[in-house]
Amino acid sequence: MEQLIHLFPGIGSFFIDEPLVAFSRLVLIIFGGVLAYYGFKRTLEPLIMVPMGLGMIAINSGVLFLDGGVVGNIILNPLTSDPGSLINIMQVNFLQPIYNFTFSNGLVACLVFMGIGAMSDISFMLMRPWACIIVAIFAEMGTFATLVIGLKFGLPPGEAAAVATIGGADGPMVLFTSLMLAKDLFVPISIIAYLYLSLTYVGYPYLVKLLIPAKYRGIETDFDMGNVSKRKKFVSILVINTLLCLLLPVAAPLIMSFFIGMAIKEAEIEPLHALLENTILYGGTFFLGLLLGVLCDARTILNPKVGILVVLGIVALTISALGAILGGWILYMISKRNFNPVIGIAGVSCMPTTAKIAQKIAMEENPYCMIMPLAMGSSISGLIVSAIAAGVFISTIGMLTP
Amino acid sequence: MNSILYAAMAYGLTAVISLAMVGIIVVVNNLMGGNDASGEEVEAD
Repeated sequence: MEQLIHLFPGIGSFFIDEPLVAFSRLVLIIFGGVLAYYGFKRTLEPLIMVPMGLGMIAINSGVLFLDGGVVGNIILNPLTSDPGSLINIMQVNFLQPIYNFTFSNGLVACLVFMGIGAMSDISFMLMRPWACIIVAIFAEMGTFATLVIGLKFGLPPGEAAAVATIGGADGPMVLFTSLMLAKDLFVPISIIAYLYLSLTYVGYPYLVKLLIPAKYRGIETDFDMGNVSKRKKFVSILVINTLLCLLLPVAAPLIMSFFIGMAIKEAEIEPLHALLENTILYGGTFFLGLLLGVLCDARTILNPKVGILVVLGIVALTISALGAILGGWILYMISKRNFNPVIGIAGVSCMPTTAKIAQKIAMEENPYCMIMPLAMGSSISGLIVSAIAAGVFISTIGMLTP
Repeated sequence: MNSILYAAMAYGLTAVISLAMVGIIVVVNNLMGGNDASGEEVEAD
């Protein structure tokens, strides 16, 4: 029982907290959902209520056990622990405040995730949710295989898990996990991840064409193009956000960021949508690239572990692609040819690159083959599964003895 | 814990959480009724 409580602290802490606190948390989670929903409905002011509601859900769901067994959360507690030293440490050079404000606490990953969320449409996933999530689960294979390989290479569990998340093909997720599990190696791991992710556009098409014969690449796939209503999408976003924050409190900041972007899009709050989709996403990406660049000095890269990371990064993405294509084939077989196996590659959540790759390859064989919506659904599912995998690693890596 | 056992456990847990999440979404969507082609909601049976 105690192990279960520590494995799922978001839920387990309900049994540890004082009854009044636990009850209040539950009420606030529901209240947050109500505020966000009525913001969406325009009964309340959406500009405030939608982000406030999602934040309220995340802070009360994403509760975990901090150092010393204290019950808290990583959205606020660490930031308030020693503000004095934070101010002192920022008095250095022009990029230092940006580093301290956005990198050391993972904020930059969250900002980029808000932007990605604002660009994502959950309705693609809701067209064939089971197919999308199964493909995405297979596409996560590289993450777990690379963890084992990394441990065999002699990396400590945290570092092996951090580099393994490259298999999820999601830059902000790799950065976030590295900052949590392998602070000393987060720069090379993130640089390697972004470098390889940009190379998937070149490498993956060859792999797909190698493993899927031409006559299967143009298969047309049925899916329900009927639009999912905004209300359904918004409620789905609230439900997934709550569930994932409860199950994986360590990844709550990242999960909340992604779904807050999605919620703002579905609630059609145009000023905030434009802010996230343009200013926040591009600003975050700019400083992410710039800071990773300036952190990449010779001494960091000459770390002997970097060679291992370079190998593991490519291994992770290759195994994930193989798993994704296998997932595509399995769905092709179990759905009686009503699934183009090329969609599988989109489960590797390098959004929207892998979805574009899938559509391009399918159209080369059949100009009328439209798989983009399902490919996007698989990519969004892949992103969610990557977040779950990162949360599972961060929550359970302690079970692995070094 | 053995590394392979841990990886299998973590992968399994990831898969179970993902599938459970989709299961709940499907149930919630069914409870909220279907859609017609234009995205307008229709009452659930």
